[in-house]
Amino acid sequence: MPPTTLENATCTFCGCVCDNIGLEADGDRIVKTKRACGLGEAWFKNHTAERLYPDALIDGKPASVDEAVEAAADYLYQANMPLVYGLSNITCEAQRKAVALAELVGGVVDSHTSL
Amino acid sequence: MGGKVTCTLGEVKNRADLIIYWGGNPADCHPLHFSRYTLNAKGKHVPQGRKGRTMVLVDVRETPSVRFSDIFLQVRPGKDFEVVTTLRALLKNRPVDEARVAETGLTLEQLQNLVDRMKNARFGVLFFGMGLTMTRGKHMNSAAVLTLVAELNAFTKFVSMPMRGHGNVTGADVVMRWTTGFPFGVNLSRGYPRFNPGEFSTIDVLVRGDNDAALILGADPGATMPQPAIDHLARIPTIVLDPKLTHTSRLARVHITTATTGISAPGTAYRMDEIPLPLKPILKSPYPTDEEVIRRIYEKVKVKPAWSPAAYAKVPCA
Repeated sequence: MPPTTLENATCTFCGCVCDNIGLEADGDRIVKTKRACGLGEAWFKNHTAERLYPDALIDGKPASVDEAVEAAADYLYQANMPLVYGLSNITCEAQRKAVALAELVGGVVDSHTSL
Repeated sequence: MGGKVTCTLGEVKNRADLIIYWGGNPADCHPLHFSRYTLNAKGKHVPQGRKGRTMVLVDVRETPSVRFSDIFLQVRPGKDFEVVTTLRALLKNRPVDEARVAETGLTLEQLQNLVDRMKNARFGVLFFGMGLTMTRGKHMNSAAVLTLVAELNAFTKFVSMPMRGHGNVTGADVVMRWTTGFPFGVNLSRGYPRFNPGEFSTIDVLVRGDNDAALILGADPGATMPQPAIDHLARIPTIVLDPKLTHTSRLARVHITTATTGISAPGTAYRMDEIPLPLKPILKSPYPTDEEVIRRIYEKVKVKPAWSPAAYAKVPCA
């Protein structure tokens, strides 16, 4: 079980990446933050671990992650030049995999930096 | 570091006595920047904290950050580049045309005063935001500021740092730099990385309609980008990985819900000064992490025959 209180949690809302945030969780949601700013508090409290959305959607219809992964792989494989974009709100480990995927499918990889 | 003269926020906290924010509104957008890293923090060589530092704010309009500043310089919109080049000229005691300086909305005295403060600072830092980098001049403005700061080092210690918006956008720069050699806008379609902002940057690619599929990772271009770019995303197969259903999810062929970075997904994120920090998730998400989903898509594609010209080169020709 993950902890229900955490000292020195890291906030990834903005580029400050404050790493001294105190958190208190109750079940699926964070109920209390310490030392966070208004933006950070909203970030932590608005992201719960509840199942609010379907696991995956294909053409707007609920699907399993397996089916969605398969569909995504097919689309990316068939494309001549796919674009991999975003990367700014995911972990470095995921970014690394995203670059590898972009190389594999021969696409463009870009982040919010270019905006 | 991509060649820029920079440092960590810890050095800013402990040393900086002149702090310039250009084209940004930290009071609203980075609320803890002042207290944790810059103005109000007591540092080893700035023991008085706020009293030991001077803050200059350069922006096109008055924002809530103005009341934190000692000096506010209001530039006419779109004239940032002219201001920076004038500062560079004054730094080298070159003559400048007073009438043309006036077109920037600032006076020669104001700019001379700023140059004197910069030269006489013990340790100066210039933070620049999207008000500088995303307005008229764009990356030329960034280049001008980075050059100004580099040249200031002939007189004193001076550094610059971009004010990054998203939580791990710095990480994206760093990861792309060490994997491809370039920080963003990298085209791998020839099997090797090519970098050309304006050609391979997302908005340009989308508006021209160059790409025939899109994988959107933790971003919502469907809500933020120009309409022609959004139209193109709706036209092609778009795949979205996001903790929530976004505007982009609604126009995408595939959406996969993922765990929220840092709250229920572990990993690493880079602070704006390129310091990597570990993420400590407190909640257990019912959804897989972005990392896991990307890895699974990668593995599915990997087993298909390679597209690369190098692979076809092995096929004998008639």
